[in-house]
Amino acid sequence: MVEAKKNSQSKVKNVAFRVVKATVKAVLVYLLYFFFASLLAPIFEVVSGSMGTIETFVVIFIVLMFLGDLAEHTIFQYFLGTARSLFIIAYLVLSLGEGVVSVDFENFTLTVNLTTFYMIILLLSLLDLARSVLQAVSFMSERAERSIQL
Amino acid sequence: MKVPIRALGIATFICWVILIAFIASAAYSIKDLSLGFGAPTFTAASNHELLYSLPLRIDNRGFYNLKAFNITTAYLDAGGSEVSRASTILPVIPHGENVTIFNNATLNMDSLLEKDEQYLFNDKNLKTSITIGWNFAELIPVQLSTNVTFPWGAPFYNFTLGQPSYDLFNSTHSRATVRLSFENHAVFDLDGNIRVELYDSLNSLLGESHAAFSVARSSRYADNLEFYVPLSTAPLPAAQNGHYKVFFSTSLFEYGPSVIPYG
Repeated sequence: MVEAKKNSQSKVKNVAFRVVKATVKAVLVYLLYFFFASLLAPIFEVVSGSMGTIETFVVIFIVLMFLGDLAEHTIFQYFLGTARSLFIIAYLVLSLGEGVVSVDFENFTLTVNLTTFYMIILLLSLLDLARSVLQAVSFMSERAERSIQL
Repeated sequence: MKVPIRALGIATFICWVILIAFIASAAYSIKDLSLGFGAPTFTAASNHELLYSLPLRIDNRGFYNLKAFNITTAYLDAGGSEVSRASTILPVIPHGENVTIFNNATLNMDSLLEKDEQYLFNDKNLKTSITIGWNFAELIPVQLSTNVTFPWGAPFYNFTLGQPSYDLFNSTHSRATVRLSFENHAVFDLDGNIRVELYDSLNSLLGESHAAFSVARSSRYADNLEFYVPLSTAPLPAAQNGHYKVFFSTSLFEYGPSVIPYG
């Protein structure tokens, strides 16, 4: 009875710790975004509509990260990690297309070729995706090993 | 399995941090980069060419050098065909430097007038396409393009040759007096010579006259041309209408004949 109570207390503590950790991480990431957004505000003003799109991206990214941290030590953590990587790839492909961004302001047209960055970000996202899959496989194999040992 | 996964995680995390820091600093640097055009200057060059010089001031206060900085100007006529193109390339503009570069385009007056003689007589607009390109932070190719119009002032704006008025000069010749006037709207002073041939309605050459002129920009020129017509050349009724053939000769261009009817 006492042990069950201790176990339940430890579980609550564990969940509370995860919530606090996930919240702090999410707030830190949002603050980082806030800092960069205010720093780069003049550029966002030139590219109309970019601020809204980036904010949506950051919000979805933070939500997936928050949920992933909440689901720590479960298989869902890796699912959410995979979803986050796929979301970054999908966002890049949809927003940047071929990697050449063209913006009109006043009577000027600004064309920025972001292909190099596009490729680097895609590569890093693919590495993150691969890591999440590997972590999921590792997690499942460890659980299977533990159940065999028991 | 855990160690390689952890190593992969650390490596990608470091790469993300470097990449985000680089993107943020590059974007912040663009904010501190300013470009500005100065007033274009026009000078008469040799070989019947007009030199258009467009100054571009670049103030690179960002963190990164600008590599392969280039400016290309293409001048187009009203029909959209290219009359001149010029490129200026600067290999590197270090960060913290303020540089002014000049894009010099030469406009060949003879070839311009071959396309359309109205550049001689009517004010027009020359469309100009300006493209500025550079490699930002040595990695990101950036291109800025715009279209502007340069006003073209005609050197012989409102060129007028009046109706010839005849009087008897001597027993063999009559004298035809023709009023010649124009305004120099061009960006350059005009020195040269105009040769005018007077033809009657039967297409017979009645006489020829010259006028030497020196007209500063934004100035008006007016003079009388005198033609000495042999009395035996043409009957007077035929000389009441006809045409002039005008030949222009200046330090910048030679053009002619331009046919102007009278009567």
